[in-house]
Amino acid sequence: MKKAYGLLKQTGVVLSLVVFVLVAAAPIAWLLLSSVLQQQALISTPPDLSLSSFTLENYTAVFGSAAQLGRGIFNSLVISIATTALAILLGAPAAYALARLDIRHADTILLMVLAAQMFPAIVIAIPLFITASKLGLIDTKINLILIYLSFNLPVVIWVLRGFFTGLPTGLERAARMDGATIYQTFRLVILPISLPPLFAAAIFAFIEAWNEFFFALIMTRQAAQTVPLVISAFAGQYQTVFGQMMAAAAISVAPIIILTIILRNSILRGFADGMLKG
Amino acid sequence: MTSEGVTFSVPDAPLRSPSRRHGVTLVFLGPALTVLVLLLVYPVLSSIWLSLTNASLSAGRLETPFVWFDNYAALISDKAAHNALFNTLYFAVVEVVGVVVLGLLTALLLNHPMARWSGFRVLLLLPWAIAPVANAVLWKWIFHSNYGILNSLLVGSGVIEKNITWFGNSFVALNMVLLVDIWKSTPFIAILLLAALQNIPQSLYRAARIDGANGWQSFRYITLPLLKTAIAIAVILQTIWSLRTFDLIFILTKGGPADGTVVMNFLAYRVTFNFLEFGYGAAIANVIFMTSLMLAIIYVRLMKPGALT
Repeated sequence: MKKAYGLLKQTGVVLSLVVFVLVAAAPIAWLLLSSVLQQQALISTPPDLSLSSFTLENYTAVFGSAAQLGRGIFNSLVISIATTALAILLGAPAAYALARLDIRHADTILLMVLAAQMFPAIVIAIPLFITASKLGLIDTKINLILIYLSFNLPVVIWVLRGFFTGLPTGLERAARMDGATIYQTFRLVILPISLPPLFAAAIFAFIEAWNEFFFALIMTRQAAQTVPLVISAFAGQYQTVFGQMMAAAAISVAPIIILTIILRNSILRGFADGMLKG
Repeated sequence: MTSEGVTFSVPDAPLRSPSRRHGVTLVFLGPALTVLVLLLVYPVLSSIWLSLTNASLSAGRLETPFVWFDNYAALISDKAAHNALFNTLYFAVVEVVGVVVLGLLTALLLNHPMARWSGFRVLLLLPWAIAPVANAVLWKWIFHSNYGILNSLLVGSGVIEKNITWFGNSFVALNMVLLVDIWKSTPFIAILLLAALQNIPQSLYRAARIDGANGWQSFRYITLPLLKTAIAIAVILQTIWSLRTFDLIFILTKGGPADGTVVMNFLAYRVTFNFLEFGYGAAIANVIFMTSLMLAIIYVRLMKPGALT
Protein backbone atom coordinates (compact mmCIF):
# COMPACT_ATOMS: atom_id res chain seq x y z
CA MET A 1 0.00 0.00 0.00
CA LYS A 2 2.65 2.43 1.09
CA LYS A 3 4.81 1.37 -1.84
CA ALA A 4 1.99 1.94 -4.31
CA TYR A 5 1.46 5.40 -2.86
CA GLY A 6 5.15 6.19 -3.27
CA LEU A 7 5.05 5.04 -6.86
CA LEU A 8 2.02 7.21 -7.51
CA LYS A 9 3.80 10.17 -6.01
CA GLN A 10 6.89 9.57 -8.14
CA THR A 11 4.75 9.37 -11.25
CA GLY A 12 3.16 12.65 -10.24
CA VAL A 13 6.55 14.33 -9.91
CA VAL A 14 7.71 13.00 -13.27
CA LEU A 15 4.49 14.11 -14.97
CA SER A 16 4.78 17.57 -13.40
CA LEU A 17 8.36 17.80 -14.62
CA VAL A 18 7.26 16.91 -18.14
CA VAL A 19 4.61 19.64 -18.04
CA PHE A 20 7.17 22.09 -16.64
CA VAL A 21 9.72 21.33 -19.35
CA LEU A 22 7.07 21.64 -22.07
CA VAL A 23 5.69 24.93 -20.82
CA ALA A 24 9.11 26.50 -20.26
CA ALA A 25 10.81 25.26 -23.42
CA ALA A 26 8.12 24.81 -26.08
CA PRO A 27 7.65 28.51 -26.97
CA ILE A 28 11.41 29.04 -27.26
CA ALA A 29 11.81 25.82 -29.22
CA TRP A 30 9.08 27.03 -31.58
CA LEU A 31 10.94 30.33 -31.97
CA LEU A 32 14.11 28.54 -33.05
CA LEU A 33 12.26 26.00 -35.20
CA SER A 34 10.24 28.69 -37.01
CA SER A 35 13.41 30.60 -37.76
CA VAL A 36 14.78 27.72 -39.85
CA LEU A 37 11.58 26.81 -41.69
CA GLN A 38 10.41 28.06 -45.07
CA GLN A 39 7.38 30.36 -45.23
CA GLN A 40 5.34 27.72 -47.10
CA ALA A 41 6.03 25.17 -44.36
CA LEU A 42 5.01 27.62 -41.64
CA ILE A 43 1.66 28.58 -43.12
CA SER A 44 0.48 25.06 -43.82
CA THR A 45 -1.66 23.36 -41.16
CA PRO A 46 -0.15 21.53 -39.44
CA PRO A 47 3.28 23.08 -40.10
CA ASP A 48 5.24 21.00 -42.59
CA LEU A 49 8.23 19.63 -40.70
CA SER A 50 9.66 17.47 -43.49
CA LEU A 51 13.40 17.73 -44.02
CA SER A 52 13.05 19.71 -47.25
CA SER A 53 11.30 22.56 -45.42
CA PHE A 54 14.37 23.49 -43.45
CA THR A 55 16.41 26.47 -44.60
CA LEU A 56 18.86 29.08 -43.38
CA GLU A 57 17.49 31.66 -45.82
CA ASN A 58 15.56 33.48 -43.09
CA TYR A 59 18.80 34.45 -41.42
CA THR A 60 20.55 35.61 -44.58
CA ALA A 61 17.38 37.46 -45.61
CA VAL A 62 17.16 39.26 -42.26
CA PHE A 63 20.69 40.53 -42.57
CA GLY A 64 20.05 41.40 -46.21
CA SER A 65 16.75 43.22 -45.84
CA ALA A 66 17.52 44.87 -42.51
CA ALA A 67 20.64 46.96 -42.83
CA GLN A 68 19.26 48.47 -39.63
CA LEU A 69 20.05 45.28 -37.76
CA GLY A 70 23.79 45.64 -38.24
CA ARG A 71 23.71 49.19 -36.96
CA GLY A 72 21.34 48.14 -34.17
CA ILE A 73 23.74 45.45 -32.98
CA PHE A 74 26.63 47.92 -33.10
CA ASN A 75 24.63 50.55 -31.17
CA SER A 76 23.43 48.01 -28.62
CA LEU A 77 26.96 46.74 -28.05
CA VAL A 78 28.43 50.23 -27.60
CA ILE A 79 25.60 51.38 -25.32
CA SER A 80 25.46 48.20 -23.23
CA ILE A 81 29.22 47.97 -22.74
CA ALA A 82 29.63 51.66 -21.93
CA THR A 83 26.76 51.82 -19.47
CA THR A 84 27.94 48.62 -17.79
CA ALA A 85 31.50 49.93 -17.45
CA LEU A 86 30.23 53.19 -15.96
CA ALA A 87 27.87 51.38 -13.59
CA ILE A 88 30.74 49.24 -12.25
CA LEU A 89 33.18 52.15 -12.09
CA LEU A 90 30.76 54.32 -10.10
CA GLY A 91 28.94 51.52 -8.31
CA ALA A 92 31.78 49.45 -6.87
CA PRO A 93 33.31 52.23 -4.70
CA ALA A 94 29.85 53.36 -3.65
CA ALA A 95 28.90 49.82 -2.65
CA TYR A 96 32.14 49.48 -0.70
CA ALA A 97 31.51 52.75 1.11
CA LEU A 98 27.97 51.70 2.00
CA ALA A 99 29.18 48.33 3.24
CA ARG A 100 32.21 49.45 5.23
CA LEU A 101 32.36 53.16 5.97
CA ASP A 102 30.49 54.84 8.75
CA ILE A 103 28.25 57.06 6.64
CA ARG A 104 25.60 59.43 7.84
CA HIS A 105 22.15 58.85 6.31
CA ALA A 106 23.37 55.51 4.96
CA ASP A 107 19.90 54.06 5.57
CA THR A 108 18.30 56.76 3.45
CA ILE A 109 20.82 56.23 0.66
CA LEU A 110 20.26 52.48 0.72
CA LEU A 111 16.53 52.94 0.67
CA MET A 112 16.90 55.17 -2.37
CA VAL A 113 19.14 52.61 -4.08
CA LEU A 114 16.60 49.90 -3.42
CA ALA A 115 13.56 51.94 -4.40
CA ALA A 116 15.34 53.06 -7.57
CA GLN A 117 15.22 49.49 -8.84
CA MET A 118 11.45 49.59 -8.68
CA PHE A 119 10.71 52.98 -10.21
CA PRO A 120 8.21 52.87 -13.03
CA ALA A 121 10.34 54.12 -15.93
CA ILE A 122 7.57 56.41 -17.17
CA VAL A 123 7.88 58.73 -14.17
CA ILE A 124 11.49 59.65 -14.93
CA ALA A 125 11.08 59.29 -18.69
CA ILE A 126 9.03 62.46 -19.13
CA PRO A 127 11.47 64.94 -17.49
CA LEU A 128 14.46 63.11 -18.97
CA PHE A 129 12.92 63.36 -22.42
CA ILE A 130 12.41 67.10 -21.99
CA THR A 131 15.97 67.58 -20.73
CA ALA A 132 17.41 65.46 -23.55
CA SER A 133 15.42 67.47 -26.10
CA LYS A 134 16.74 70.74 -24.70
CA LEU A 135 20.31 69.46 -24.75
CA GLY A 136 19.95 68.03 -28.25
CA LEU A 137 20.66 64.51 -27.00
CA ILE A 138 17.68 62.78 -28.62
CA ASP A 139 18.83 59.92 -30.88
CA THR A 140 22.37 59.84 -29.46
CA LYS A 141 24.11 56.86 -27.90
CA ILE A 142 25.49 58.90 -24.99
CA ASN A 143 21.93 59.72 -23.93
CA LEU A 144 20.97 56.06 -23.52
CA ILE A 145 24.32 55.24 -21.92
CA LEU A 146 23.59 57.77 -19.18
CA ILE A 147 19.89 57.00 -18.80
CA TYR A 148 20.55 53.27 -18.43
CA LEU A 149 22.60 54.11 -15.35
CA SER A 150 19.29 54.98 -13.68
CA PHE A 151 18.47 51.29 -13.32
CA ASN A 152 21.90 49.66 -13.65
CA LEU A 153 23.77 51.71 -11.07
CA PRO A 154 21.31 50.87 -8.25
CA VAL A 155 21.41 47.16 -9.11
CA VAL A 156 25.22 47.10 -9.21
CA ILE A 157 25.46 48.95 -5.89
CA TRP A 158 22.92 46.65 -4.29
CA VAL A 159 24.52 43.40 -5.44
CA LEU A 160 28.09 44.47 -4.63
CA ARG A 161 27.15 45.95 -1.27
CA GLY A 162 25.73 42.56 -0.32
CA PHE A 163 29.02 40.94 -1.29
CA PHE A 164 31.29 43.48 0.46
CA THR A 165 29.22 43.30 3.64
CA GLY A 166 29.75 39.54 3.73
CA LEU A 167 33.56 39.76 3.41
CA PRO A 168 35.54 39.11 6.58
CA THR A 169 37.28 42.28 7.77
CA GLY A 170 40.62 40.60 8.51
CA LEU A 171 42.20 41.40 5.15
CA GLU A 172 41.37 45.07 5.45
CA ARG A 173 42.73 45.26 8.99
CA ALA A 174 45.94 43.56 7.88
CA ALA A 175 46.30 45.97 4.95
CA ARG A 176 45.76 48.94 7.20
CA MET A 177 48.34 47.70 9.68
CA ASP A 178 50.79 47.48 6.79
CA GLY A 179 50.16 51.20 6.29
CA ALA A 180 47.88 51.02 3.27
CA THR A 181 45.45 53.90 2.80
CA ILE A 182 41.82 53.06 2.33
CA TYR A 183 42.15 53.75 -1.39
CA GLN A 184 45.03 51.31 -1.69
CA THR A 185 43.14 48.75 0.38
CA PHE A 186 40.15 49.01 -1.91
CA ARG A 187 42.15 48.91 -5.12
CA LEU A 188 44.82 46.36 -4.25
CA VAL A 189 43.11 44.12 -1.70
CA ILE A 190 39.36 44.26 -2.12
CA LEU A 191 38.90 44.59 -5.88
CA PRO A 192 41.13 41.63 -6.82
CA ILE A 193 39.15 39.24 -4.60
CA SER A 194 35.84 40.68 -5.84
CA LEU A 195 36.21 39.76 -9.48
CA PRO A 196 33.49 37.06 -9.58
CA PRO A 197 30.72 39.27 -8.13
CA LEU A 198 31.96 42.23 -10.20
CA PHE A 199 31.71 40.06 -13.28
CA ALA A 200 28.23 38.80 -12.36
CA ALA A 201 26.98 42.33 -11.69
CA ALA A 202 28.46 43.50 -14.99
CA ILE A 203 26.77 40.74 -16.96
CA PHE A 204 23.48 41.49 -15.29
CA ALA A 205 23.79 45.19 -16.15
CA PHE A 206 24.76 44.29 -19.71
CA ILE A 207 21.69 42.08 -20.16
CA GLU A 208 19.37 44.75 -18.78
CA ALA A 209 20.82 47.34 -21.16
CA TRP A 210 20.78 44.98 -24.13
CA ASN A 211 17.10 44.14 -23.57
CA GLU A 212 15.85 47.64 -22.74
CA PHE A 213 13.04 48.88 -24.95
CA PHE A 214 11.02 51.67 -23.34
CA PHE A 215 13.69 54.40 -23.11
CA ALA A 216 15.13 53.39 -26.48
CA LEU A 217 11.68 53.81 -28.01
CA ILE A 218 11.27 57.31 -26.61
CA MET A 219 14.81 58.60 -26.95
CA THR A 220 15.93 57.34 -30.37
CA ARG A 221 14.75 57.94 -33.91
CA GLN A 222 17.18 56.38 -36.40
CA ALA A 223 20.88 56.78 -35.76
CA ALA A 224 20.98 55.42 -32.20
CA GLN A 225 18.33 52.69 -32.53
CA THR A 226 19.13 49.56 -30.53
CA VAL A 227 18.39 45.92 -31.34
CA PRO A 228 15.00 45.71 -29.55
CA LEU A 229 13.75 48.67 -31.60
CA VAL A 230 15.00 47.20 -34.85
CA ILE A 231 13.31 43.89 -34.02
CA SER A 232 10.07 45.63 -33.09
CA ALA A 233 10.10 47.70 -36.29
CA PHE A 234 11.02 44.64 -38.33
CA ALA A 235 8.16 42.64 -36.81
CA GLY A 236 5.78 45.46 -37.62
CA GLN A 237 6.98 45.84 -41.18
CA TYR A 238 7.44 42.19 -42.16
CA GLN A 239 4.77 40.71 -39.95
CA THR A 240 3.71 38.20 -42.56
CA VAL A 241 7.22 36.88 -43.16
CA PHE A 242 7.12 34.70 -40.08
CA GLY A 243 10.38 32.84 -40.52
CA GLN A 244 12.37 36.06 -40.88
CA MET A 245 10.58 37.59 -37.92
CA MET A 246 11.64 34.63 -35.78
CA ALA A 247 15.18 34.71 -37.18
CA ALA A 248 15.45 38.36 -36.16
CA ALA A 249 14.12 37.53 -32.70
CA ALA A 250 16.52 34.59 -32.39
CA ILE A 251 19.49 36.81 -33.25
CA SER A 252 18.57 39.26 -30.49
CA VAL A 253 18.02 36.50 -27.94
CA ALA A 254 21.06 34.34 -28.65
CA PRO A 255 23.73 36.31 -26.76
CA ILE A 256 21.54 36.59 -23.68
CA ILE A 257 20.62 32.92 -23.64
CA ILE A 258 24.31 31.99 -23.89
CA LEU A 259 25.27 34.40 -21.08
CA THR A 260 22.44 33.08 -18.92
CA ILE A 261 23.52 29.47 -19.34
CA ILE A 262 27.14 30.34 -18.54
CA LEU A 263 26.17 32.40 -15.50
CA ARG A 264 23.25 30.34 -14.21
CA ASN A 265 24.84 29.79 -10.82
CA SER A 266 25.53 33.41 -9.98
CA ILE A 267 22.06 34.35 -11.19
CA LEU A 268 20.35 31.60 -9.24
CA ARG A 269 22.23 32.32 -6.03
CA GLY A 270 23.19 35.98 -6.14
CA PHE A 271 20.09 37.71 -7.37
CA ALA A 272 17.39 35.65 -5.72
CA ASP A 273 19.15 35.98 -2.37
CA GLY A 274 19.69 39.69 -2.94
CA MET A 275 15.98 40.26 -3.36
CA LEU A 276 15.17 38.47 -0.11
CA LYS A 277 17.77 40.01 2.18
CA GLY A 278 18.53 43.49 3.31
CA MET B 1 15.65 33.96 5.76
CA THR B 2 18.32 36.12 7.25
CA SER B 3 19.59 37.12 10.61
CA GLU B 4 20.59 40.63 9.70
CA GLY B 5 18.59 43.48 8.32
CA VAL B 6 19.98 46.69 6.89
CA THR B 7 22.99 46.89 9.18
CA PHE B 8 26.62 47.74 8.74
CA SER B 9 29.77 45.93 9.70
CA VAL B 10 32.33 48.59 10.32
CA PRO B 11 35.93 47.40 10.52
CA ASP B 12 37.51 47.56 13.93
CA ALA B 13 39.69 50.53 13.08
CA PRO B 14 37.47 53.13 11.47
CA LEU B 15 39.03 56.18 9.97
CA ARG B 16 39.59 58.49 12.84
CA SER B 17 39.74 62.08 11.70
CA PRO B 18 36.25 63.32 10.75
CA SER B 19 37.51 65.56 7.99
CA ARG B 20 39.46 62.75 6.36
CA ARG B 21 36.50 60.50 6.72
CA HIS B 22 34.33 62.96 4.84
CA GLY B 23 36.93 63.14 2.11
CA VAL B 24 36.93 59.38 1.71
CA THR B 25 33.14 59.19 1.68
CA LEU B 26 33.03 61.89 -0.95
CA VAL B 27 35.49 60.07 -3.21
CA PHE B 28 33.79 56.67 -2.88
CA LEU B 29 30.16 57.66 -2.79
CA GLY B 30 30.04 61.13 -4.35
CA PRO B 31 30.10 60.25 -8.06
CA ALA B 32 27.46 57.52 -7.82
CA LEU B 33 25.25 59.66 -5.63
CA THR B 34 25.50 62.60 -8.02
CA VAL B 35 24.44 60.40 -10.93
CA LEU B 36 21.51 58.95 -8.96
CA VAL B 37 20.33 62.40 -7.93
CA LEU B 38 20.51 63.68 -11.52
CA LEU B 39 18.85 60.61 -13.04
CA LEU B 40 16.28 59.78 -10.35
CA VAL B 41 15.70 62.43 -7.72
CA TYR B 42 15.64 65.40 -10.07
CA PRO B 43 13.33 63.73 -12.66
CA VAL B 44 10.92 62.56 -9.95
CA LEU B 45 10.66 66.07 -8.49
CA SER B 46 10.45 67.53 -11.95
CA SER B 47 7.67 65.17 -12.93
CA ILE B 48 5.68 66.15 -9.82
CA TRP B 49 6.04 69.79 -10.85
CA LEU B 50 5.16 69.00 -14.47
CA SER B 51 1.97 67.27 -13.34
CA LEU B 52 0.85 70.62 -11.88
CA THR B 53 1.24 72.35 -15.25
CA ASN B 54 -0.23 72.05 -18.71
CA ALA B 55 3.23 71.47 -20.13
CA SER B 56 3.43 70.98 -23.87
CA LEU B 57 6.29 70.96 -26.30
CA SER B 58 5.81 73.32 -29.22
CA ALA B 59 8.59 73.88 -31.75
CA GLY B 60 11.20 72.56 -29.33
CA ARG B 61 10.15 75.02 -26.64
CA LEU B 62 8.53 73.85 -23.45
CA GLU B 63 5.53 75.88 -22.33
CA THR B 64 4.53 75.26 -18.73
CA PRO B 65 1.43 77.18 -17.62
CA PHE B 66 0.74 76.34 -13.99
CA VAL B 67 -2.70 74.78 -13.39
CA TRP B 68 -2.49 73.45 -9.81
CA PHE B 69 -4.37 70.15 -9.53
CA ASP B 70 -6.36 70.39 -12.75
CA ASN B 71 -4.62 67.35 -14.25
CA TYR B 72 -5.48 65.22 -11.24
CA ALA B 73 -9.05 66.51 -11.28
CA ALA B 74 -9.25 65.65 -14.99
CA LEU B 75 -7.99 62.17 -14.19
CA ILE B 76 -10.97 61.57 -11.90
CA SER B 77 -13.50 62.29 -14.63
CA ASP B 78 -11.55 60.85 -17.58
CA LYS B 79 -13.27 57.76 -19.05
CA ALA B 80 -10.02 56.59 -20.66
CA ALA B 81 -8.32 56.74 -17.27
CA HIS B 82 -11.15 54.75 -15.62
CA ASN B 83 -10.80 52.10 -18.29
CA ALA B 84 -7.01 52.00 -17.83
CA LEU B 85 -7.36 51.82 -14.07
CA PHE B 86 -9.79 48.93 -14.30
CA ASN B 87 -7.51 47.09 -16.75
CA THR B 88 -4.50 47.72 -14.51
CA LEU B 89 -6.27 46.38 -11.41
CA TYR B 90 -7.49 43.29 -13.24
CA PHE B 91 -4.05 42.77 -14.78
CA ALA B 92 -2.21 43.19 -11.49
CA VAL B 93 -4.49 40.89 -9.47
CA VAL B 94 -4.56 38.06 -12.02
CA GLU B 95 -0.85 38.35 -12.72
CA VAL B 96 0.21 38.38 -9.07
CA VAL B 97 -2.02 35.46 -8.13
CA GLY B 98 -1.00 33.51 -11.24
CA VAL B 99 2.71 34.18 -10.93
CA VAL B 100 2.98 33.55 -7.19
CA VAL B 101 0.90 30.35 -7.26
CA LEU B 102 2.69 28.97 -10.32
CA GLY B 103 6.04 30.19 -8.99
CA LEU B 104 5.45 28.39 -5.68
CA LEU B 105 4.39 25.18 -7.42
CA THR B 106 7.45 25.35 -9.69
CA ALA B 107 9.75 26.01 -6.73
CA LEU B 108 8.29 23.08 -4.79
CA LEU B 109 8.66 20.85 -7.84
CA LEU B 110 12.27 21.83 -8.46
CA ASN B 111 13.07 21.42 -4.77
CA HIS B 112 11.99 17.77 -4.97
CA PRO B 113 14.91 15.31 -4.76
CA MET B 114 13.97 13.87 -8.16
CA ALA B 115 14.22 17.31 -9.79
CA ARG B 116 17.64 18.36 -8.59
CA TRP B 117 19.23 18.10 -12.06
CA SER B 118 20.64 21.54 -12.81
CA GLY B 119 19.28 21.42 -16.37
CA PHE B 120 15.81 22.07 -14.99
CA ARG B 121 17.02 25.26 -13.39
CA VAL B 122 18.65 26.47 -16.58
CA LEU B 123 15.37 25.76 -18.35
CA LEU B 124 13.59 27.80 -15.69
CA LEU B 125 15.87 30.75 -16.44
CA LEU B 126 15.13 30.79 -20.18
CA PRO B 127 11.73 32.53 -20.21
CA TRP B 128 13.16 35.05 -17.76
CA ALA B 129 16.26 35.73 -19.84
CA ILE B 130 14.65 36.02 -23.27
CA ALA B 131 14.50 39.68 -24.35
CA PRO B 132 11.04 41.18 -23.74
CA VAL B 133 10.76 42.41 -27.31
CA ALA B 134 11.80 39.10 -28.88
CA ASN B 135 9.38 37.41 -26.50
CA ALA B 136 6.52 39.65 -27.58
CA VAL B 137 7.31 39.08 -31.26
CA LEU B 138 7.39 35.33 -30.64
CA TRP B 139 3.96 35.30 -28.99
CA LYS B 140 2.53 37.51 -31.71
CA TRP B 141 3.44 34.70 -34.08
CA ILE B 142 2.11 31.98 -31.76
CA PHE B 143 -1.23 33.84 -31.45
CA HIS B 144 -1.49 34.67 -35.16
CA SER B 145 -5.14 34.20 -36.09
CA ASN B 146 -4.58 32.43 -39.42
CA TYR B 147 -1.25 30.63 -39.14
CA GLY B 148 -0.41 30.72 -35.42
CA ILE B 149 0.59 27.46 -33.78
CA LEU B 150 -1.92 27.95 -30.95
CA ASN B 151 -4.88 27.85 -33.31
CA SER B 152 -3.31 24.93 -35.23
CA LEU B 153 -2.91 22.94 -32.04
CA LEU B 154 -6.36 23.74 -30.65
CA VAL B 155 -8.16 23.06 -33.94
CA GLY B 156 -6.01 19.99 -34.62
CA SER B 157 -6.84 18.47 -31.25
CA GLY B 158 -10.51 19.34 -31.58
CA VAL B 159 -10.66 21.73 -28.62
CA ILE B 160 -12.04 24.49 -30.85
CA GLU B 161 -13.73 24.19 -34.22
CA LYS B 162 -12.35 27.17 -36.06
CA ASN B 163 -9.53 29.65 -35.56
CA ILE B 164 -9.93 32.28 -32.88
CA THR B 165 -8.82 35.88 -33.42
CA TRP B 166 -7.08 36.18 -30.06
CA PHE B 167 -6.71 39.95 -30.21
CA GLY B 168 -10.16 40.61 -31.69
CA ASN B 169 -12.00 40.95 -28.39
CA SER B 170 -10.94 43.31 -25.59
CA PHE B 171 -11.32 40.89 -22.71
CA VAL B 172 -9.75 37.93 -24.53
CA ALA B 173 -6.86 40.15 -25.69
CA LEU B 174 -6.17 41.33 -22.13
CA ASN B 175 -6.09 37.75 -20.92
CA MET B 176 -3.77 36.65 -23.72
CA VAL B 177 -1.35 39.45 -22.78
CA LEU B 178 -1.64 38.27 -19.17
CA LEU B 179 -0.89 34.69 -20.18
CA VAL B 180 2.36 35.74 -21.83
CA ASP B 181 3.35 37.99 -18.96
CA ILE B 182 2.68 35.24 -16.42
CA TRP B 183 4.80 32.84 -18.48
CA LYS B 184 7.62 35.37 -18.58
CA SER B 185 7.42 36.48 -14.94
CA THR B 186 6.92 33.16 -13.15
CA PRO B 187 10.57 31.98 -13.42
CA PHE B 188 12.03 34.82 -11.36
CA ILE B 189 9.51 34.37 -8.56
CA ALA B 190 10.10 30.61 -8.70
CA ILE B 191 13.86 31.21 -8.35
CA LEU B 192 13.24 33.53 -5.43
CA LEU B 193 10.95 31.06 -3.66
CA LEU B 194 13.32 28.19 -4.45
CA ALA B 195 16.11 30.10 -2.71
CA ALA B 196 13.83 30.59 0.30
CA LEU B 197 12.84 26.90 0.28
CA GLN B 198 16.47 25.85 0.36
CA ASN B 199 17.03 27.96 3.46
CA ILE B 200 14.59 25.82 5.44
CA PRO B 201 16.60 23.37 7.55
CA GLN B 202 15.99 19.75 6.54
CA SER B 203 16.07 18.75 10.21
CA LEU B 204 12.62 20.29 10.65
CA TYR B 205 11.17 17.89 8.10
CA ARG B 206 12.97 14.94 9.64
CA ALA B 207 11.60 15.83 13.05
CA ALA B 208 8.10 16.19 11.62
CA ARG B 209 8.35 12.78 9.96
CA ILE B 210 9.39 11.19 13.23
CA ASP B 211 6.37 12.79 14.84
CA GLY B 212 4.23 11.13 12.16
CA ALA B 213 3.40 14.14 9.99
CA ASN B 214 2.40 13.40 6.40
CA GLY B 215 3.54 15.37 3.34
CA TRP B 216 0.64 17.80 3.40
CA GLN B 217 1.06 18.48 7.12
CA SER B 218 4.79 19.15 6.65
CA PHE B 219 3.94 21.59 3.90
CA ARG B 220 1.13 23.25 5.83
CA TYR B 221 2.90 23.57 9.18
CA ILE B 222 6.59 23.89 8.21
CA THR B 223 7.01 25.06 4.62
CA LEU B 224 4.22 27.62 4.38
CA PRO B 225 4.88 29.42 7.68
CA LEU B 226 8.60 29.63 6.93
CA LEU B 227 7.93 30.86 3.41
CA LYS B 228 5.51 33.53 4.58
CA THR B 229 7.95 36.42 4.29
CA ALA B 230 9.34 35.25 0.95
CA ILE B 231 5.82 34.88 -0.46
CA ALA B 232 4.90 38.35 0.79
CA ILE B 233 8.03 39.75 -0.88
CA ALA B 234 7.11 37.93 -4.09
CA VAL B 235 3.61 39.41 -4.01
CA ILE B 236 4.89 42.96 -3.51
CA LEU B 237 7.65 42.73 -6.12
CA GLN B 238 5.36 41.19 -8.70
CA THR B 239 2.72 43.85 -8.07
CA ILE B 240 5.31 46.58 -8.66
CA TRP B 241 6.53 44.85 -11.81
CA SER B 242 3.02 44.28 -13.15
CA LEU B 243 2.46 48.05 -12.99
CA ARG B 244 5.42 48.51 -15.35
CA THR B 245 4.21 46.21 -18.14
CA PHE B 246 4.82 48.02 -21.40
CA ASP B 247 6.86 46.21 -24.07
CA LEU B 248 4.41 43.35 -24.36
CA ILE B 249 1.36 45.57 -24.78
CA PHE B 250 3.16 47.88 -27.20
CA ILE B 251 4.10 45.03 -29.51
CA LEU B 252 1.15 42.65 -29.12
CA THR B 253 -1.83 44.99 -29.14
CA LYS B 254 -0.75 48.67 -29.05
CA GLY B 255 -3.46 48.99 -26.41
CA GLY B 256 -6.26 47.66 -28.60
CA PRO B 257 -8.75 46.43 -29.45
CA ALA B 258 -10.96 49.35 -28.35
CA ASP B 259 -8.43 50.25 -25.62
CA GLY B 260 -9.06 46.86 -24.05
CA THR B 261 -5.38 46.39 -23.16
CA VAL B 262 -4.54 49.97 -22.19
CA VAL B 263 -3.14 49.91 -18.65
CA MET B 264 -2.13 53.03 -16.67
CA ASN B 265 1.51 52.78 -17.72
CA PHE B 266 0.57 52.54 -21.39
CA LEU B 267 -1.92 55.37 -21.04
CA ALA B 268 0.76 57.62 -19.53
CA TYR B 269 3.06 56.79 -22.45
CA ARG B 270 0.37 57.48 -25.03
CA VAL B 271 -0.82 60.72 -23.47
CA THR B 272 2.75 61.98 -23.16
CA PHE B 273 4.51 60.81 -26.28
CA ASN B 274 1.67 60.45 -28.79
CA PHE B 275 -0.66 63.25 -27.70
CA LEU B 276 2.26 65.35 -26.33
CA GLU B 277 0.28 66.33 -23.20
CA PHE B 278 3.27 66.28 -20.85
CA GLY B 279 1.44 67.65 -17.81
CA TYR B 280 -1.41 65.16 -17.93
CA GLY B 281 0.96 62.31 -18.75
CA ALA B 282 3.11 63.25 -15.76
CA ALA B 283 0.03 63.20 -13.52
CA ILE B 284 -0.81 59.64 -14.59
CA ALA B 285 2.84 58.62 -14.21
CA ASN B 286 2.85 60.05 -10.69
CA VAL B 287 -0.16 57.98 -9.68
CA ILE B 288 1.75 54.86 -10.77
CA PHE B 289 4.86 56.12 -9.02
CA MET B 290 3.11 56.80 -5.71
CA THR B 291 1.52 53.35 -5.78
CA SER B 292 4.89 51.72 -6.50
CA LEU B 293 6.54 53.78 -3.78
CA MET B 294 4.06 52.64 -1.15
CA LEU B 295 4.56 49.03 -2.22
CA ALA B 296 8.34 49.53 -2.12
CA ILE B 297 8.11 50.78 1.45
CA ILE B 298 6.17 47.65 2.43
CA TYR B 299 8.82 45.58 0.65
CA VAL B 300 11.66 47.20 2.60
CA ARG B 301 9.81 46.55 5.86
CA LEU B 302 9.33 42.90 4.88
CA MET B 303 13.05 42.43 4.25
CA LYS B 304 13.80 43.28 7.86
CA PRO B 305 13.99 40.11 9.93
CA GLY B 306 10.81 38.87 11.50
CA ALA B 307 8.75 41.52 9.76
CA LEU B 308 5.75 39.28 9.38
CA THR B 309 6.07 37.10 12.44
